[in-house]
Amino acid sequence: MKNTRKRSRFLYLFLVGSLVGLTYFIYEFSINSSYWVFQPFNKHLSSQMTDGGKIIDKNGVILVQTKNGKRVYAENPDIRKAILHTVGDGSTLISTSIQCRYVQEILGYNLITGFGAPEPLNRNKDIKLTLDGEVCAKVSNAFKGKKGTAIAYNYLTGELICSVSLPTYDVYSKPVFTEDNDGIYEGVYINRALSASFVPGSIFKLFTTAAMLNSRNDSENITFECNKIKIYEGEKVTCMKNHGRINLQTGLCKSCDIVFGDIAVELGKDIMLKEIEKFGFNKEIKVDGISLSRSKYDLEGATKADLAWSGIGQYKDLVNPMHMLMVMGAFANGGTPVKPFFIKEIRLSRGDTIFINSPSVYGEMVKKDVSDKIKAMMRNNTKNQYGDSMFPGMKICAKTGTGEVGEGKEPNGWIVGFSEDRKFPIAFVVLVENGGFGIKSAGPIASFMLKTIKANSTIK
Amino acid sequence: MVLLFSLIIYILQTLLPFLAIIIIYNCFKTLRVNTRKDSPLILLVNKNTKEKIPIIHWENSIGRSRSSDIILDGITVSRDHAVLFRRDEGWIISDTGSKTGIYINGNKVNGSKKVSPGDTVDIGGNKLVLERLEDNKILKKSEKLENKSEPSVASSGALLALVAVFHFIAAFTVCFQATQIKFEPAIAFGLITGIGWLFFIITRYVFGRVGFELEALALFLSGIGILTASTVDLKAIYIQASSMFLGMIMFCLILTLIKNPDMAMKFRIYIGVLAILLFAVNIVFGKIKNGSQNWLNVYGLSIQPSEIIKAAFVFVGTSTLEKLQTARNLTGFILFSSLCMLSLFLMGDFGTACVFFTGFLIISFMRSGSLRSLVLVLSGAVLGGLMILKFKPYIVDRFCAWRHVWSYVNDLGCQQTRVLTYSASGGLFGVGIGKGYLRGVFASFTDLIFGVICEEWGLLIGISVVLCIILLGFYARRVSIKSRSVFYSIASCAAAGIIVFQMSLNVFGAADILPLTGVTLPFVSLGGSSMVCSWGLLAFIKASDERTYAARRGRA
Repeated sequence: MKNTRKRSRFLYLFLVGSLVGLTYFIYEFSINSSYWVFQPFNKHLSSQMTDGGKIIDKNGVILVQTKNGKRVYAENPDIRKAILHTVGDGSTLISTSIQCRYVQEILGYNLITGFGAPEPLNRNKDIKLTLDGEVCAKVSNAFKGKKGTAIAYNYLTGELICSVSLPTYDVYSKPVFTEDNDGIYEGVYINRALSASFVPGSIFKLFTTAAMLNSRNDSENITFECNKIKIYEGEKVTCMKNHGRINLQTGLCKSCDIVFGDIAVELGKDIMLKEIEKFGFNKEIKVDGISLSRSKYDLEGATKADLAWSGIGQYKDLVNPMHMLMVMGAFANGGTPVKPFFIKEIRLSRGDTIFINSPSVYGEMVKKDVSDKIKAMMRNNTKNQYGDSMFPGMKICAKTGTGEVGEGKEPNGWIVGFSEDRKFPIAFVVLVENGGFGIKSAGPIASFMLKTIKANSTIK
Repeated sequence: MVLLFSLIIYILQTLLPFLAIIIIYNCFKTLRVNTRKDSPLILLVNKNTKEKIPIIHWENSIGRSRSSDIILDGITVSRDHAVLFRRDEGWIISDTGSKTGIYINGNKVNGSKKVSPGDTVDIGGNKLVLERLEDNKILKKSEKLENKSEPSVASSGALLALVAVFHFIAAFTVCFQATQIKFEPAIAFGLITGIGWLFFIITRYVFGRVGFELEALALFLSGIGILTASTVDLKAIYIQASSMFLGMIMFCLILTLIKNPDMAMKFRIYIGVLAILLFAVNIVFGKIKNGSQNWLNVYGLSIQPSEIIKAAFVFVGTSTLEKLQTARNLTGFILFSSLCMLSLFLMGDFGTACVFFTGFLIISFMRSGSLRSLVLVLSGAVLGGLMILKFKPYIVDRFCAWRHVWSYVNDLGCQQTRVLTYSASGGLFGVGIGKGYLRGVFASFTDLIFGVICEEWGLLIGISVVLCIILLGFYARRVSIKSRSVFYSIASCAAAGIIVFQMSLNVFGAADILPLTGVTLPFVSLGGSSMVCSWGLLAFIKASDERTYAARRGRA
């Protein structure tokens, strides 16, 4: 019996093993439960969504709510289409949408009650956005079937007022995606403002200008020679026009490619990379907790001509629209942007407000004197190149861009900028995919967006 | 009104884990309180040294070896000389192959012989006399035992009532949970409770057994399984409840069969042969279901012979101390185990093979005590395992998804990811029985039942179920060292080891902590064979508790 007693301790091996396993499971459960729960295949998400809280825009317009156990979206179909990417369609397809990312808040999920709490106990939350649904609807329609994105925010408070991404669809009559309409609905689930990066073209020249101003004291006095074509080690860099002798400010205004190619080559890879990365290129940037698609500036293996093209916003350059909007905020604010956000406040469906968003600063992108010089140059662009008539009653600083995408496609048209007037503190970015020249494609949309915001504006 | 009602149902649902904890705590508390302290049963007086040796155990080895229970000095004493053990008829001494033999009152003992108090036993020159503890002292003791067992009987009834309350609340929440009222859970509750009380009355008054804690725990677990299935259809309830009933019969049958361990030793061989035959029938006539050929159709009922053989395996493996001392080698058992394992591999039931192997490890270690052979067997198993991986590529697939299930969300890790997602969706108190989505996933009520419980009953009940089974293991080990025979000790540890290991494979396999092997959760998983087997294994733990056969002796 003595032996048996001793040997029976062998059983402890299994018992302790199971206890360790159980402890480990509880540990994993407590750490990972949110990740485990928010999986596209989880049927609780879609079924519980019908109990979910509502999402309203800044003016209190209901974007989505639960009525009689059904998820009901905004009445106006234009608003429904315009806010699709922000609000989501209740599925997990648009992964950056608020109904996806804040599903925990909307459904009141927590580790303690899971999805089990009955209605009187549930902690559903309503979310108020900073967006203006009506402005979004109008701007979205202004794209007239083109793909792209238009975003605008208050650069003093960080509140996003307009954010649309095209193509889009009406949640109530979701199209069937086939090979035939593949072109029209390409990347329909992507919020282009957040989750995509595009060839910037000339809007990138703002960064090259900043790099120049930052590293050379005499940069405003330097002149460049544009003969339409410049050869670097046997490779051509070409400009739209023969600009002759031209300085930095006029170069930016006329968007002379030779000037910015020259600057990039003159400064060299190291300085360019260092200066461009100060703006947040090649880095993760988050807006309301969403990781933006990265803006890229990569000179790996670049020849001299490649380096020149990189200064013009071609080569491997990529820019994310929301990141670009922050940069506009930076130039408007003397070099340091306020971070944009969508969520104004979150409150319990039955009860108190539990979260109010407040402005937060991203960090200095560029020194104040350089920022102010660029602001002046951008103001000069509008006055002398695009015309103040585009933005009646406003003092807009802007830069257009045309990003060549190759493959025989039309280039991407850009316009980025902000209002100098701090009583109308709006920064904006408009991108029209394959829209052709920025001033012609993106320009009118930006003009329309700013006019609409001004008309609807409660900003004093 | 509807809102208020759903609130009440939810509050009841949140009460369940607390009730579960109370049930488990009380079961193990009474189990603990009711185990006998280390007081001697009888005295053995060594006339040479005047030493009084208290005999604590029911089976005692005598010899020169330091590991003997009663150590005797002298060169004429063999290392393992004899075994002194107690049976219904009294104390018996048995020669276990000594060189110099045993003499009772001068007469040589051939094999074994009864020793009465006052007899002088000569072992290698040591003159030992069996002496009772003072007669009145013994009487007092037994009186004490009787007195002590009284409240435990009362509390057995209370325990059963607590379990019934638990099942009632659970059934109630299912009945009134949706907009329409369901009756199936009420039927399930009626069956669980009815069968449970009937079983209690029979064990108490027909078998005269003291203590019902183990049975109450098993009923508690079985009820959770039946109630979970109650939302599927009536057929599931009937199958599960009648299997529980069959399991209880199996439980009683095994207890009766092994009442006399010496007798049980004799027909071990027949059980072993039967088991192998059953395997053979399975291999020849078995049906392939879900990748393994472990199903047998008998008159429209599909049964899993490997489950039934699990109980037989424990039976065949175990041994009394007397036999252990005389026949040291494990050849027979190793042969039997190998045949079992081979059959399981042929059937492709990898998970059950692992469970059998665990049983084999525990039994062989408890019989031989040899760490060296344990290591040898384990390394052999690893080699064998590698061979299987080579020949059964689908098992390799399981291993490649293991700990990486999120990379195989829609194929190899499909089941595990669903378990994790839906477990987390349930929170601590569950979404309500029948309201989960994991039940729609393949094998949800068997292999993934832990996930279903976590989702619908809540994590706390899930943990309670696991803890309950682990505690069962601790309890089995505790009673095994006080047991009436080494036969029961080994059987108890092996049965507990099998139950706990199988639970681990099921629970941790589903939760992606171990590879998913597809075994059932004892007592809880849906499936008749598994239920019957779980109750059968429980009988071995019950037998190991010294009280199990005591009360009956008292009556006789």
